[in-house]
Amino acid sequence: MAVSEQPRGPKLASWLYGKLFHNYIWRSIFRSGYPSTPRNQMLVVATNVFLHLHPTRIHKTHVRITHTYCLGGITFFFFLGLTVTGVMLMFYYVPSPERAFSDVAALETNIRFGMLMRNLHRWMAHGMVISVFLHMMRVFYTGSYKAPREFNWLVGVILLTLTLALSFTGYLLPWDQLSIWAVTVGMNMAGSVPLMGEQSRFILLGGFEVGDAALIRFYTLHVIGLPLLAAIFMAVHFWRIRRDGGLARPL
Amino acid sequence: MAAGARTVSSTQGGARPRREREQELLVWPDLVFVEFIAAVVFTLAFIILSTILDAPLLNEANLDITPNPSKAAWYLASFQELLLHMHPALGGVIAPTFAIIILFMIPYIDRSNAGQGVWFGTPNAVKIALFSAAFASVFTVGLILYDAGRHVNVVTNVAQRVDKDWEWPGALAPFQNMRAIQTGWEWGVPVPKSAQLGPGEHDGVLNWPEDFSHVPMPFNGTSGPDWMRWDKPDSLPGWVQSLYWYDLNMNTPAFIVELFIPMAIMIGLPALLIFILRRLGWVETIRDGSIAIFTGMLVVYFILTIIASGFRGAGQDLVLPWDVPHID
Ligand code: HEM
Repeated sequence: MAVSEQPRGPKLASWLYGKLFHNYIWRSIFRSGYPSTPRNQMLVVATNVFLHLHPTRIHKTHVRITHTYCLGGITFFFFLGLTVTGVMLMFYYVPSPERAFSDVAALETNIRFGMLMRNLHRWMAHGMVISVFLHMMRVFYTGSYKAPREFNWLVGVILLTLTLALSFTGYLLPWDQLSIWAVTVGMNMAGSVPLMGEQSRFILLGGFEVGDAALIRFYTLHVIGLPLLAAIFMAVHFWRIRRDGGLARPL
Repeated sequence: MAAGARTVSSTQGGARPRREREQELLVWPDLVFVEFIAAVVFTLAFIILSTILDAPLLNEANLDITPNPSKAAWYLASFQELLLHMHPALGGVIAPTFAIIILFMIPYIDRSNAGQGVWFGTPNAVKIALFSAAFASVFTVGLILYDAGRHVNVVTNVAQRVDKDWEWPGALAPFQNMRAIQTGWEWGVPVPKSAQLGPGEHDGVLNWPEDFSHVPMPFNGTSGPDWMRWDKPDSLPGWVQSLYWYDLNMNTPAFIVELFIPMAIMIGLPALLIFILRRLGWVETIRDGSIAIFTGMLVVYFILTIIASGFRGAGQDLVLPWDVPHID
């Protein structure tokens, strides 16, 4: 593993390289030079907060697509995409029974790229539910939940339920016939809990039927409560992957 | 450098073998590149998808107009399907809760290291997964068809070719569908009047289902001899009262149809699956067993989802996908 600072190349390239990656400002941001040498490639991962989710080196089998199919990563990608498009939708959406439906309808007619944002948010939400299921299947069928990763599997199951809850709460927000009746069906299931069914249904809905109290509850959970929880559990999930010694492989 | 070296040493759990450097790649560029490409591909794919396909928006919500059928979101539709076949508490709450608990428990039950880190790592894993998938599909579809009474239609159709007046025999009345045990089946046995238990009219015949639909539970406050009865505890707060039903009576036919049979099926079929796989000699470790159960659960979920979202029409009747009414 050669450790050298300068890439080989023609004069112009090294001059450019020097100007771009050896100056005071670049150094103040990234600490290491451009990741063109093994040393800098490791430093860039180790010193960058986002890339630091990764170790600096990983085992060969784990970059093979067919080992993970990138499914956990894709789930995370969907989560990020949903956050971005979701924030944009929040600019235009007011969670009240009087406005919710017309605000969503206006995305199509009055707002440039409004429909694109809404579509992206909807399809990515479906995509995330599918990819989290597939990710769980890949973890299961590769036997990657075994010691020392039992706890990370638990965190994963929590993330699965959070993903479903996010999707479920989001379903109500357009306030159309599909949303309100899907949520009514779901809430009636909650209402059949033995002993405290009626109470839990009442607490979730803030009333006896799906109305304005339910809308504001679902909205709050959907835009802050559940995403915050999911982000926390994802942080634990990723941290544990590294603490457990990277991805599972045969002993 | 220091940061890199620290992570390497601190992830050594003792049990793990020493890292072989030549087996390892640098995350930048090898992994970061793959991640970057995946992100670009998915971003583009979803932007294209979103320009072509619009998210649905129906009429404004109105609780006075019930769409028929009204359906849950697809990832919950499987539990809505369960509701059609069993008590709502069992299908909508208890079964999903147990499914989650079973998921939680997998790594704590299967503690062996067999097959770790490789796809289908045990010798029979693929066979077990395929067999369990087939087993789960056949029984799920079969039970749904049975509960819709489709076997009655088929048998009647065939039999009526031979004998035009053929009808489903009364002796087989409880086997028209699950609910028929409660609603489609009647019989009575004479019982001497002297065998009277408790108060009430006694007509000399013990009838199914009427005489079984209000069986007082022991210690429920309203049954048994006088000294076993007690007054409704009105002075206690409501939630305390709800912990024990004062006048608890069992509707035996409903209990059998809505709770007993579904539970027996949901426990019995997985047990049967494991039994068969052990007989075949395929299941050797707990890992093998958990592959069977996990696959079975997954396939049941999958099939229920398809049936609930694609094959349930008005009134939740079992219909073909093109006969499902369009809701707006
Ligand atoms: C929001 C949901 C989730 C996100 C964003 C997520 C993300 C990830 C990522 C990025 C990885 C790295 C490897 C890979 O891409 O496959 C991973 C690994 C893992 N995930 Fe998840 N995951 C989620 C849900 C789940 C679920 C539902 C389970 C299981 C029930 C789970 C269990 C695991 C385990 C045990 C590992 C370690 C795998 C190994 O060592 O090979 N995760 N997760």
